[in-house]
Amino acid sequence: MAFFFHILISGIATGAIYSLIAVGYSITFTTMRILNFALGMWVMIGGMLTLTLHVTLGLNLLITAAIIAAAMAVLGYAAERISVYPFFRTGSDAWVMSTLAVGFLFVNVAELIWGQSPKPVPPFFGSGVIMLGGIAIFPQHLLVIGSALGIFVLLYFFYYRTLLGKAFRATAHSSEVTSLMGIDTRLICILSYVMTSVLAGIAGLIVVPITLAEPQMGTVLGLKAFAIAIIAGLNAPRGILVCGLAYGAIEALLSGYFYTGIRDILGFSLMILVLFLRPEGLFGTAAKERA
Amino acid sequence: MIASSAMSRVVWAAAILLLAAFPLIATGSYYQFMLILVFIYSVVAIGLNILAGYGGQFSLGHAALMAMGAYTSALVSKALGAVPVLATSGLNVWIGVVAGTVVAALSGAVLAYPSLRLKGPYLAMVTIAFGWVIWKILLEWVPVTGGELGITAIPKARIGSFVLTTSYFYHLALLAVLAAMAVQHNLVRSEFGRRLQAVKHSEIAAASVGIDIYREKIKTFVVSAVFAGFGGTLFAHQQNFINPDNFQFFSSVFFLLAVLFGGAGTLLGPVIGAAVLTFLPELLHDFDRVRLIVYGVFILATLYFLPKGVAGLWRRGESAGLGFVPGASAAPAKLGPGTPAIGTGPVLEVDGVSKVFGGLTALGNVSLALEPGRVHAVIGPNGAGKTTLINVVSGFYQPDQGSMRIDGQAIRIGSLHEAARLGIARTFQTIKLFGDMTVIENVMVGFERHSRVRIWDCVFRTARAREEERRQAEEAMTLLKFVGLEDVATTSASALAYGHRRLLEIARALAVHPRILLLDEPAAGLVANEIESLKVLIRALRDAGIAVLLVEHHMDLVTAISDRITVLDYGEVIAAGDPAAVQRDPRVIEAYLGTEASHA
Repeated sequence: MAFFFHILISGIATGAIYSLIAVGYSITFTTMRILNFALGMWVMIGGMLTLTLHVTLGLNLLITAAIIAAAMAVLGYAAERISVYPFFRTGSDAWVMSTLAVGFLFVNVAELIWGQSPKPVPPFFGSGVIMLGGIAIFPQHLLVIGSALGIFVLLYFFYYRTLLGKAFRATAHSSEVTSLMGIDTRLICILSYVMTSVLAGIAGLIVVPITLAEPQMGTVLGLKAFAIAIIAGLNAPRGILVCGLAYGAIEALLSGYFYTGIRDILGFSLMILVLFLRPEGLFGTAAKERA
Repeated sequence: MIASSAMSRVVWAAAILLLAAFPLIATGSYYQFMLILVFIYSVVAIGLNILAGYGGQFSLGHAALMAMGAYTSALVSKALGAVPVLATSGLNVWIGVVAGTVVAALSGAVLAYPSLRLKGPYLAMVTIAFGWVIWKILLEWVPVTGGELGITAIPKARIGSFVLTTSYFYHLALLAVLAAMAVQHNLVRSEFGRRLQAVKHSEIAAASVGIDIYREKIKTFVVSAVFAGFGGTLFAHQQNFINPDNFQFFSSVFFLLAVLFGGAGTLLGPVIGAAVLTFLPELLHDFDRVRLIVYGVFILATLYFLPKGVAGLWRRGESAGLGFVPGASAAPAKLGPGTPAIGTGPVLEVDGVSKVFGGLTALGNVSLALEPGRVHAVIGPNGAGKTTLINVVSGFYQPDQGSMRIDGQAIRIGSLHEAARLGIARTFQTIKLFGDMTVIENVMVGFERHSRVRIWDCVFRTARAREEERRQAEEAMTLLKFVGLEDVATTSASALAYGHRRLLEIARALAVHPRILLLDEPAAGLVANEIESLKVLIRALRDAGIAVLLVEHHMDLVTAISDRITVLDYGEVIAAGDPAAVQRDPRVIEAYLGTEASHA
């Protein structure tokens, strides 16, 4: 039973990271109907910066987090201007390719700066375990779960308790009407892209001790997070949290007790199944075009 | 192919001859090998162009579909190689090619069914995931796929004892590209191609004339997967060994970039793109360390500076075009079901229909009956539920309560295209035309439900397809003449004046041969003399036996041509009857005509 809970908690920790990335897809999708197809690469940049700032330079964790957030915000702003807005504005679908192109740039730059080989990042609170009622728990896992939940709470307050958050929701509902109300929807779009980028960077920071720091670390994370966003529903942030945690737990239990090979295929099969049975997602709501 | 002029035929013939003679000129195998790759990649890119360029659906998993073709063909031909008859005749390879193509098509269908249900970036992302899963399976399922070493000693293509060595395979691959281009050409200029563009432009409008957009998109994806799978089989038998590295995500990006760079939605674009992108890495050998940066910048530069691709530089987003201007048929326009059944009772009955949005009752217990050869107007203030009524009758919304009957038979209309198939056609308050297509093509899309042409007819441009096309074009001309647009038949629909667009929408709806026509504010935005001709037009439709439901604010028009009026207010029927009676109804005057009456 102790083994079960040990695996369960590490699975939930991984799931918390999936949710954090997945909610990023949701944020830009609701405001602009676009999403960053290379979001995993942004997670990778967060992880790589952690390697340099925290491990190599020895900066403390909060300062590392602050610098990463700032760097990702700047990158997010620039990427929105360069790779999203020009196509978003004309209604073209070219952003699918342009956001991927930015991902390619990131991977190559990371290869040049950090090299291709995976490098370990030690857990932030040592590699020892805490014993809780006979269950061995890594402090890193608690940190991951705690910070992800904290971020979701902040997001909730942002969306429902702040004026800017309400403007986000209004834009998601109808960009046209929102801009008629005197809200700068262009600013909302930029901010949503920046928010997504910052979240991805922070996800990279907290995931990197669990994975390894390498230029390819984000690919699978980004894909799984997308599967979760689809399963939950692209317009259902709370559903994304629930599905992400559940997904991480199921995945960990499957590979803890069975064969690891089916683990990765599971998520995508689930995604296909959900799209088939309930395309708007388990928690999502369907929107219909007007006739 | 680009233009039918003799000059361009000569250029084409010369280019093909030159390519065919190439192995004689350059005997070195390197360039032959590279060109074979260009040909194979072109086949895949052409398939993707049909999907992404003409259909507007992005796939980033075509390398995986190609892998399905390559691995299936390799495995099948190796396994069948054990059968002496097949091995000596070389049939094992050709069976493998067919099997690989079929398997790719089936995978395409399995992938398309779930991911095309919603509009949006789902297909792109699901295909990325699919590509990744396939790649993973190829790596892990070692007993079958050989893992990262892949499959070696794949049999060479041969006919009897005649083995297709590189220079012969070159011609086979060249032939494959030419065939792929011909099929692309036939498809995009066929009614399949018109539907494809129509769906890309406006899904709702396409559905309103009876096109099942979901099915149409799946069909397109499967067609595209056939090209990818076939390309994969060629690749396998050319290379003689394949491994998962050949079919990574990066290759899928390669194909989509080839389409965008060459010119999405142009006939030659995918070939140009495949050629440039195949040779580009060869030129960049020295830049291997920054290959992804080069690639990323190349993608961004393509999207910025060549939004229509290289082929778009000399051809501006033209529609596939008919290739001929038909004359109208001598017979008068066939309007409606053909047999006017005036006075035989209602064709459509709406009985106690309600529709609620959130807490708002858009329609509450609305009943009305449409009769053949009668104009039934529905009027009411803004927000009274008139358009919602049209949306319910045309299957766009499902009613929460109540029922509908056609010819006395209870029916449930699940979608716009189902309505069209039941003979219910409609227009839209905000005009929805297929802007990039010509006026006549807009109308021809409407014949979907009467066409006997199958996809095979479109692929091979059979006599049946050509005959049907001529018939449709003539009938479309007749309809255009009927609404007075025959002079602008070959103009792009987006270039039409506002009033003409409204007329075109009516002509397109008439192509459905509707028994019931729902007109949603047809006079909105029209000037006085246009409204006069609209009156004449609607009367003619009525006289042809069509049951017309007219939602309109323009009271002159309504009173002049309506046989019956139903007045809605806050979603409920407050009055119904003949125009004179309705106008006298105090509740109507209060709710709707009140201000008008006080002016009078």
